[in-house]
Amino acid sequence: MRAYQDMVFSTAARLAGNDTQAEDIAQEVFIRAYEHFSDLRTSVTAGGWLKTVTTNLTLNYLNRYRKRWRFFSEMRPATEDGETDAPEMDWEIPDTILAELSAEQRCAIVDAALRQLPDHQRLPLVLYHFEDLSYQEIAIKLNVSLTKIKTDIRRARAALLPLLQNGGAARDTLDG
Amino acid sequence: MSKHIDSEQKLERALTQALKGLPLRQAPSTLELRVVGELERRAALPWWRVSFGHWPAAPRVAFVAVCIALVAATILGGVFAFAGDRSFDQAAALVLSWVQPFLAVMSSAGGVATLLVRVIPPLWLYGGLALGIVLYVALFGLGAAAYRTLYLRPSSVGDDL
Repeated sequence: MRAYQDMVFSTAARLAGNDTQAEDIAQEVFIRAYEHFSDLRTSVTAGGWLKTVTTNLTLNYLNRYRKRWRFFSEMRPATEDGETDAPEMDWEIPDTILAELSAEQRCAIVDAALRQLPDHQRLPLVLYHFEDLSYQEIAIKLNVSLTKIKTDIRRARAALLPLLQNGGAARDTLDG
Repeated sequence: MSKHIDSEQKLERALTQALKGLPLRQAPSTLELRVVGELERRAALPWWRVSFGHWPAAPRVAFVAVCIALVAATILGGVFAFAGDRSFDQAAALVLSWVQPFLAVMSSAGGVATLLVRVIPPLWLYGGLALGIVLYVALFGLGAAAYRTLYLRPSSVGDDL
């Protein structure tokens, strides 16, 4: 368990955007692992199994709160709340982001920024950039159209950039 | 448009570089204790408090046997109560006498429906079908509008996941 607990907790925390929920999910993951201990003990893919179970449990956990009204809420036009299909990025895109910071500092800033994103942007973004899933795989996993996944990830990136830059600037100020 | 796509690709590359290789978050020190505690709590539960799949073999077999016996007793009890001192042929004839009126009603309804289809012009039938679809869609739209207006909180619009 000790070998995998950071991986399981990180995966759940980044997907859920909430450490308390992530700890609950990690607990359930390890209880399921214990129930399959005889299979996992000698398996070389135990890490992959744990990651998949963590991802699925986190999505199930978050799904409980959206199933009731997802159908109707998805009928709204994309521009209803001021968002457009293709978010305009009229600011300068840097070549690198937070590159001057240490990995630990980047980790803290990225996790804080991810927590500020809404679920429908954070989930596909984390699945794409951290879990290396394709757009198609994410659409299937989240049971959402491919177009919506691409749009949500584009919006998530556009929302994440200023959060990371502000986080980096604040870190520089503190360090300076 | 091309500039916009270039910006998106540049942002994706920059974010990929920033997010790749991040160290794992450290799990809370309480996690291991929580897992062990929960496993101990579950292990301490008596077998009848856990799900059927985790019951010992003997109670599972006994439970299935009792269920089958109860179902069989219910069916046989019903048959014997119904049949009384009648012979099998008499009991079967009585059941058929109850079923026949129902079959007759169904057959008559089918005949009326066939007659209507022949008598009513096809245009009316298609028109009625179209009207039904329109009413159904309108009702669905009204339901969706009412849901969004009366139930869905404004702050939750947009949280699609």
